[in-house]
Amino acid sequence: MKKRLPAYLYVLPAVLLFVLFVAYPILWVICESLYGAGASHPGGFVGLNHYWQAFQDPVFWRVLLNMFLWGAITIPVQMVLGGTIAYLIERHTHRSKTFFRVMFFLPVITSVSVVSIVWSQMYAPYYGIIQEYAKLIGLQLSVSPLGEPSLAIYGLILVNIWQWTGFSMLMYVAGLNNIPGELWDAARIDGARGLQLATRVIVPLVSPVTRSLLLLGVIGTLQTFPIVHLMTDGGPDHASEIFGTYIFKQGFVIGDTGYASALSTLVLLIALGLSIMQIVFLGARLTPAGTARR
Amino acid sequence: MKTRACVFTFLAMGLLSAYPADAQQKKEITVWSWFVASTMEKSIKAFEAKHPDLKVNYTYYNYSPQYLTALKAAAASNSLPDIIGLQPGSFTQQYREQLTSLNSYAAKEWGDNWTSQVFPVALKQLTMGNPSNDSNYYLLPQECQVLCIWYNKPIFQKLGLSVPKTYAELVQVAKKLTSSGYIPLYQGAADGWQNENVFLMIANQLAPGLAEKAQAGQAPWTSPELVSALEAWSALFKDHVFQEGALGARAYPTGAQLFAQGRIGMMALGSWWMQESKFPPPLSQFVQNMNGFDFFYFPALKEGGQISPAVGGVDIGYGLTKNGEKNPEAWKFLASLVKGEALQQALNDLNDLPSFTGFEPQGDITPNIKEMYSRFIADLPHAENQRIAHPEIGQELDNVLAGVASGTVTPADGLKRVQDVTDKTLK
Repeated sequence: MKKRLPAYLYVLPAVLLFVLFVAYPILWVICESLYGAGASHPGGFVGLNHYWQAFQDPVFWRVLLNMFLWGAITIPVQMVLGGTIAYLIERHTHRSKTFFRVMFFLPVITSVSVVSIVWSQMYAPYYGIIQEYAKLIGLQLSVSPLGEPSLAIYGLILVNIWQWTGFSMLMYVAGLNNIPGELWDAARIDGARGLQLATRVIVPLVSPVTRSLLLLGVIGTLQTFPIVHLMTDGGPDHASEIFGTYIFKQGFVIGDTGYASALSTLVLLIALGLSIMQIVFLGARLTPAGTARR
Repeated sequence: MKTRACVFTFLAMGLLSAYPADAQQKKEITVWSWFVASTMEKSIKAFEAKHPDLKVNYTYYNYSPQYLTALKAAAASNSLPDIIGLQPGSFTQQYREQLTSLNSYAAKEWGDNWTSQVFPVALKQLTMGNPSNDSNYYLLPQECQVLCIWYNKPIFQKLGLSVPKTYAELVQVAKKLTSSGYIPLYQGAADGWQNENVFLMIANQLAPGLAEKAQAGQAPWTSPELVSALEAWSALFKDHVFQEGALGARAYPTGAQLFAQGRIGMMALGSWWMQESKFPPPLSQFVQNMNGFDFFYFPALKEGGQISPAVGGVDIGYGLTKNGEKNPEAWKFLASLVKGEALQQALNDLNDLPSFTGFEPQGDITPNIKEMYSRFIADLPHAENQRIAHPEIGQELDNVLAGVASGTVTPADGLKRVQDVTDKTLK
């Protein structure tokens, strides 16, 4: 025990920080989900009522569907686009490499508020930028995708892809640069070209990056909030509602912290379940270099 | 060594004297709000000039999500400031347990009859959502607003248009504006508040006060007049009175910017629009002294019918928190904000209308603005209520308005949904 004491002391600050900023808030939210709260709600212990309320709430299922669409579209599209851009930059540009990296990464570091306002205006019929170009070919847009219940979520997904593809690109840039030069040479000597080179050499070698992006993508999907809050606020009539906006409305606008906490706990469970599934089925090798860290 | 010690002592004394002695003794008052920071600075300056022993620390937040989340977190950790900005109804009710009743403070400051000086619509809104046996005022109103439709006068003159008196005329005006390349009646329908405002203008034209009764459970939301109001709301989209794609548009900043730039013919806002003329330059020719704007109330839906009455109420009010109750100076600033030199500064900036009678903006106010201001003040005493007491009802009404506008919900079904939520909330 004496020998182990320094080791425990070394990890103590990290454990304390984890308990204070992660474990305690999670426990607080779970406890809160078991109580009614707010001026217009009866207080006291309500058990699992909020969870049953969620399962009977049609908006909850709408949110789940939207979250599924968000993840199912954004994650693979960002990976494919980001990977392709990274490959083109790293293998087919020389002097302008840095310029292109910066250009494609720029949306990632742009304020979400700015991105939301600019895209809302781009989508707008009459005065939007897209409309200005559409005019050139004689088209008059009559709707904004953000105002169409059947299109709103896709309009937001497009903005998210535009903003975050640069992040996938950067990750793949790191992954591609970690592939040893001799492997590229060997592949070339063996005659690997085009699709064959991509599917047989590059994709397997950057698979740790892909796994990282998948994990980050799932977590990022569940954490999505500002773009939707600023562009549609989950509307029209919940058509683009996601967990972030729905929890915010329940907790901060309506003031039903009990139900908002139950929804937050469900999000936590979904994130946990998906992360465990990924690690079980895809392994935990997540570093760009592909070095095993199990 | 001695010299060094002397120099050090003098320096230390110099520094201490440079730090104003009064700053050390000044008592602090903390305030959080979403109220325009530049105007609040003027209010604070005027207050501090009158109370040199007091210092106000103001923290400005964007309303959503920053202010809402900051308040929630501070309430949970019992670290609310002395004074917080509030709106009547649901917002105030959420923090009722953290707020102090202001009845005795107000009576002591302004006399037992102080409520007679508050505009009736504001006074009625102060206790909205209180339990039936609770007549305490947890906020006091600083400014009121009247909802209206603003229009761009030069555009109307250029196109030979006049203010529409009926819905048919409104449709014609919108058509003319659209065909001339302008946005007709801009609606930021992605914002629930703007939809609520227009709906309440229409609902109060068809049945004054019915929407208020409905939210209190004294009349059904499914009343024929309210169904008609929702149908009229839907028609604004179908008849292209609102711009195409309105459901994806925001009133601020996009709509306000386009309106100020002269690209929009009409926009449903309120008396607060006048403050645009007091913003720092450069200002557009339309905004300059409000030369390019005038307002009207929603035109009569039926031929020979009445135009909408004024609808409005408290724009912003302030509450004294339980923490503020322990600070004897906090009330002084709150009183100044609602009925004193701090309010006067806000009015001079044309931020909005006063909630107490007897105030008007002073300073550099053009006759044009004075005339519009007077019209608002004349209408305010008999304005219909625009606030929804319970957030659940307000949220569902917002959802239904968007659903009806997009054609996914019928007006009757939509109001049935609002009724269900009202029943559940008031149970």
